[in-house]
This record gives sequence, structure tokens and C-alpha cells, in this order.
Amino acid sequence: MRLNARHLVLVGRLAVAGILLYSGYSKLSEPWLQFEISLESFKILPESWLEPLARTVPWCEVALGAALLTGVFARWFSLIATLMLAVFMGAAAQAYYRGLQVDCGCFGSGGDPLGPKWFAEHGAMTLLALAVTVGAFMLARTRTPSGTSRASKVSSDATTQPEIA
Amino acid sequence: MRYFLLLLPCLMLSSQTPLSAQTPAPAKKAVPAAAKPTPSVMLRNFKESGMANAPVQIEIYTDYECPACRDLYLTVLPSLNREYVNTGKVKLLHRDFPLQQHLYSKKATAYANAAGTIGKYDLVAQQIFQTQPEWAQSGNVDAVVAKVLAGADLEKVRGMAKGEVLDDSVAADVAMGEKDNLRQTPTIVIIAKGKREVISGGMPYSILKSYIDKKLAQ
Repeated sequence: MRLNARHLVLVGRLAVAGILLYSGYSKLSEPWLQFEISLESFKILPESWLEPLARTVPWCEVALGAALLTGVFARWFSLIATLMLAVFMGAAAQAYYRGLQVDCGCFGSGGDPLGPKWFAEHGAMTLLALAVTVGAFMLARTRTPSGTSRASKVSSDATTQPEIA
Repeated sequence: MRYFLLLLPCLMLSSQTPLSAQTPAPAKKAVPAAAKPTPSVMLRNFKESGMANAPVQIEIYTDYECPACRDLYLTVLPSLNREYVNTGKVKLLHRDFPLQQHLYSKKATAYANAAGTIGKYDLVAQQIFQTQPEWAQSGNVDAVVAKVLAGADLEKVRGMAKGEVLDDSVAADVAMGEKDNLRQTPTIVIIAKGKREVISGGMPYSILKSYIDKKLAQ
């Protein structure tokens, strides 16, 4: 079986789903106060927002992960996941710039401190989510009225033309 | 089918979360259910304060050389003591968790606990945390303790802290910390209605207060 754009997007989508499910599960397996402390350490949110966010963000991650896993409205949910990851990256970047000691709590407490390794790992996750989003939108655009995408038609064709999603 | 798959992880998580969030309460410090402690009974262990039958118990793992522990001790604990411990709402227990990477932490722990046996724990622990930047460089814990203890008391403490031999309570605290999967200091354990919640890292008092109020209201 040859890999085509649809397969790559699927694999990427499942990877992002796994990351989000694990991230949400890690937070939910700890008291919500733990994530509230992590959110507070970024020093950008009003205190009244911390508890509601600490209680809801992990569930949003699980819901997003589950949605991406099942493929329901995949491109829209992958867009939301990308935006969420980008917001986290932005918050982390400002905290790093300000020299704050932050435990991001991304996968529960006790993770790596903010630094080059952290940004490399989380940057890769954000780029993966972005690639999945772009890929999913491109696949949707190439979809034919009969419901099959042009990309998959190309891949099923016996010709050896390069496939572009 | 897709929608069922969407809901499945949520159902699994909702059933798992309460279980994984709790670990067994320590037998050592648990308030006996059969005995009915009267509110006037104050705890005798120098590491404990508050009423034995307080509805919420808080255990704080600290390392004397850890800057975040110092911050917690000096900024959060005074308010916690005033508003919750002294009013009988919270029972507080200090637990020692001297970290390997801190050169003088054991020495500081030995001094504080030795002071505890002569009834000067709070005074000496406060002084050790207060002067942490000073002795963490030189290792001269004795000099900072000497500033708050009188001659005879100081000699007793020096005698007991000699050789940095840690008492049994430290070994018990470290064992409990390992059981709690301690990853850093400070770590706060909040025990309410039999649930033991381990929270890593320091936090502003306002956040801790809000959480305790919710536990008390339960």
C-alpha cells in the first residue's frame, strides 16, 4: 500500500489526538488545584479565571482528542487544537522571556522546565497540529461531489504521478 | 458509532479520575475514628499544629535549602496558621524531605528537629528559612541558629544535631514522601474526607485559601 496525503493526515491526526488525550488525562488524574497552580505560574491570567480554566481545559483537551480520534469534524477540531497549542506556546514564550519559573503542567505536574528542550518538543507538537489542520483543509477542498477526494483518486490510480493533497 | 467513540474516553476518564487522585492516608498521622478528640486537645508532636479533629489536614513536605520552600514558609504559612490552623479548621503537619542535591539541608533539618525536642521548633525553623540565602552558601547553620537560641538551649541543640544524624521522624517523612510519589519540594498534601491529594509546588496563599474553603464546605 502506498502512503498518500490522506494517510499522512490520518496518522498526524491520530498522533495529535493521542497527545491531547494523554495531556487531558494527566491533568484529570491530579487534583485540579495542581493545574490551577501551573496556570497561575504564567502570571498572565486574572486570578478569577484560574479555577474555571483549571477545571475545564483538561476536559476540553479530552473532548478534542476524542473528536480527532473519531474524525468527527476533524479539520475544525484540528484547527481548534492548533490554536490551543499556539496559545500555550505564546504564554510559555512570554513566561520564558520574563524569566518566570513555570511548570506548565502540560502533562501533569513535574514536567520539564521552560527551556530550549521544552520549546523544541512543544513546537513540534504545534507544528504537527498545524500540518494536520492544513492537510485536512486541503483534502476537504479537493473533495469531489461524489464524496471521494481528488487526492485519494490520484493515489488509487495506477499512474505514478506525485500526489499533492 | 463515531459519536459513541467520541464519548467513550470521557466515560473512561470520569470513572478513573477520583480513584487515581487519591492515595491511602498515612496510618501514622490518621485521626482515629473511634476516639472523639475534644477541640481543646492540642497536638503534642512539634511538627504538628492545630486541632486533632480538624476537618482538613494539610501536610507540607519541605527541604530547608529549597528557595520555593522558603517562600512558602515565609509567605503562605503565617496566613494559613492565623486563619485556619489557630481556628481549628486545619491540622498542619510539617514533613521533612531533605533533597540529595542540597549540601546543607540535612544539617538544617537536624538543627530544626533538635530544637523541636526542646520546644523551640517554630523559632528555629523560622530562623533557618529566614536566613537560608546566608547559610546555603557557607553551610554555617549553627551561626544562624545561635542568633535565636540562648546558651543552654543552644548547647542542647548542638549536642543533638552533632554529626547531622537525622531522627526517626525524618526517615518516616521521607518514606511517606516516596509513597506520595514526591517529585519536588515543596509539596502539599491536602486530606479531607479521607481523600489524600498531593499537590506539587508552591502556590499563592489566595489560591490555597480558596481550595481549603471548598474542602471545608464539602
